[in-house]
Amino acid sequence: MPNKIISNALRNGRTVLTEVESKQLMSEAGIPVIETTLAKTKAQAISMSKDLGFPVVLKIVSPDIIHKSDSGGVKLGLGNATQVGKAYAEIIAAAKRANPKAAIHGVSVQKMAKPGVEVIMGMSKDDQFGPVLMFGLGGVFVEVLKDVAFRIVPLVRRDASQMIREIKGYPLLEGYRGQEPANITLLEDILLKLSDFVDRTPEIKELDLNPILAYSDGAVAVDARVILESQA
Amino acid sequence: MSKVAESTVRKLDRVFNPRSVAVVGDKQALGYMWLRSLIPFKGKVYSVQIDPNEFPGIAELGVENHLTLMDIPGPVDYVIASVPRAVAPRIVEDCIQKKVGGVCFFTSGFAETNTEEGIRLQRVIADLARKAGLNLIGPNCVGLYNPKIGLRHTEAQGYGEGGSVGFIAQSGTHATLFSLVGQHEGIRISKSVSYGNAVVLDSTDFLEYLGADEETKIIGMYIEGVKDGRRFFRSLREVSSRKPVLIWKGGETEEGARATASHTGVLAESGIVWQAAMKQCGAIKVDNLDEMVDTVKALLYLKPATGTRVGLIAMSGGQSVVVTDTFAKAGLKVPLLTQSSYQKLATFFNIIGGSYRNPFDISSTFLMADDGVSNLASMLDVMGQDPNIDCVVLELFPVIRPLSQSPETADPILDTLSDFNERSEKPFMLIVTAAYSDALASETRDKLVKRGIPSFSNFERAAKALKKLADYYQFRHEQSQDYM
Repeated sequence: MPNKIISNALRNGRTVLTEVESKQLMSEAGIPVIETTLAKTKAQAISMSKDLGFPVVLKIVSPDIIHKSDSGGVKLGLGNATQVGKAYAEIIAAAKRANPKAAIHGVSVQKMAKPGVEVIMGMSKDDQFGPVLMFGLGGVFVEVLKDVAFRIVPLVRRDASQMIREIKGYPLLEGYRGQEPANITLLEDILLKLSDFVDRTPEIKELDLNPILAYSDGAVAVDARVILESQA
Repeated sequence: MSKVAESTVRKLDRVFNPRSVAVVGDKQALGYMWLRSLIPFKGKVYSVQIDPNEFPGIAELGVENHLTLMDIPGPVDYVIASVPRAVAPRIVEDCIQKKVGGVCFFTSGFAETNTEEGIRLQRVIADLARKAGLNLIGPNCVGLYNPKIGLRHTEAQGYGEGGSVGFIAQSGTHATLFSLVGQHEGIRISKSVSYGNAVVLDSTDFLEYLGADEETKIIGMYIEGVKDGRRFFRSLREVSSRKPVLIWKGGETEEGARATASHTGVLAESGIVWQAAMKQCGAIKVDNLDEMVDTVKALLYLKPATGTRVGLIAMSGGQSVVVTDTFAKAGLKVPLLTQSSYQKLATFFNIIGGSYRNPFDISSTFLMADDGVSNLASMLDVMGQDPNIDCVVLELFPVIRPLSQSPETADPILDTLSDFNERSEKPFMLIVTAAYSDALASETRDKLVKRGIPSFSNFERAAKALKKLADYYQFRHEQSQDYM
């Protein structure tokens, strides 16, 4: 039984899921994501922000804009209704400037997550081995140092445990210099859920949860990106 | 064993253990290499050759020749085809009609040439074989080696006594070299296969077969790529849980620029993913023939390692420093011994011209001492019994006088080593450094292999092999915890 979000996107000829769709999909897979709602008007964005509680983050939601922050599509730490309203207008204007033909679904509204250790999890497909999962620390660690570990799907607990400990930056997860340590078991759980999800969802081509903020008592994905296999 | 693996085993058993072999197309120009390689074969050997000029040469070897496979009176379990590529489809059809157990195509000139004709012919033989369920090995390979029954692919390979090491290689050269180098290193093959272009049977089939083969206790593989990575992964995980599988991955091709929108896709390079697969399955990664030979040797002869703490014994001060650096760099630990060990050592160890923290520099206590040989045994026992030590490593310098002088002085030393090797519960690793005499080193190594102790030719190779051994037993240990 194909997933509704996936079949809906494919029916519309889309292989890129929006952030809101991606997060919903992850949430259905049992992966903790930050609550994110889609606002189609400025008024909606303001009322949703009030419901979630300030500060909030607004992001452009468009299947045609993948690199959101590069095109002025992300506004962080918005502390009140006025700021939200202004940010909404700016995001929509920037998106139209960046890609006049982009289909704009609206703007996502989410509560600003408290700081934690940033980690990245992802999936891509290897020519020989099929789906593989990646784990690493977010930001500069993944982008510059490529400090990441891979495992072939499906993972068992030992794989998840080892891949987290394999990265050079692992001590940062244990609470380096008084920083709050990450809950490693919980990160393992997420990797196993992700493995299970991609194993039974062959329609997924690539996936990034970047970043996931890891805390001592939890973890939450604050951004998600899912790319589907094109239907030949 | 999975159902799939069981059917692979049933399918391949006849091919790996043939009672009759036919060689198609062997000729003078090749020195009748195939028929000659089969001289010790314990079953019936036939030749198939239509060129009358070749008949006398074949008759001279005492081999019965036929014009086609179908003319052979009895059943044929294994066929070696060394024919021009254009004839290959005919031979495949004949094999199918004759209902042979399997066929290996030494013939090359197929897809590996990247020519239209080569690719077409490869597709033709693959389609024919697959449709008929014919076990086709290759093309572009040397096929099977089963020393126990004298089935070989080169005259240089030994026969008669089978061993416990299985080898699977995409490349014929690596299969041959491993068996030949192994012969000098105390590594004996149970069964090996080179499988070339893998158009029908692929590495996974052979892995499943040798995984189930009772004679095979260790499996080495040289792989450039696999056709069905998922199946390979599942089989590797299953087989590695029962016996060590070593993988030497060749041909790390550059993936072109990937059309990808995720970080994960950009970072998932083929080599990295292969490494992950090996780690996940508990397979042992080796990077060249030397590492393959060394690690197989360590697995074959050394007792299971319970940890990475090594006790190092060297013949001189300088060597003791360098061996320590090398083992530490390889990820092994060189800890201090217990106080009780030091008390024992203090009773006989000559610290003038030597030292015994860890490493030991035994020049004055062994080389220069009258009772050097019994001191050697005592020092080994201290290491062997010390609870801080998991593995005992000894550097032997064959140019030293007692070893090079005469058997009367050398034998007691070698006997002391083999006695300790037998009574020690820990892995005991010997490094025989050549210094300026390769000949002497080689002679000493041969003597040691005869005593059931393999030796390693330098510190780096020894340290790498020992680390891989320790990692492997660590994996086995973790695995047993998983299922408790």
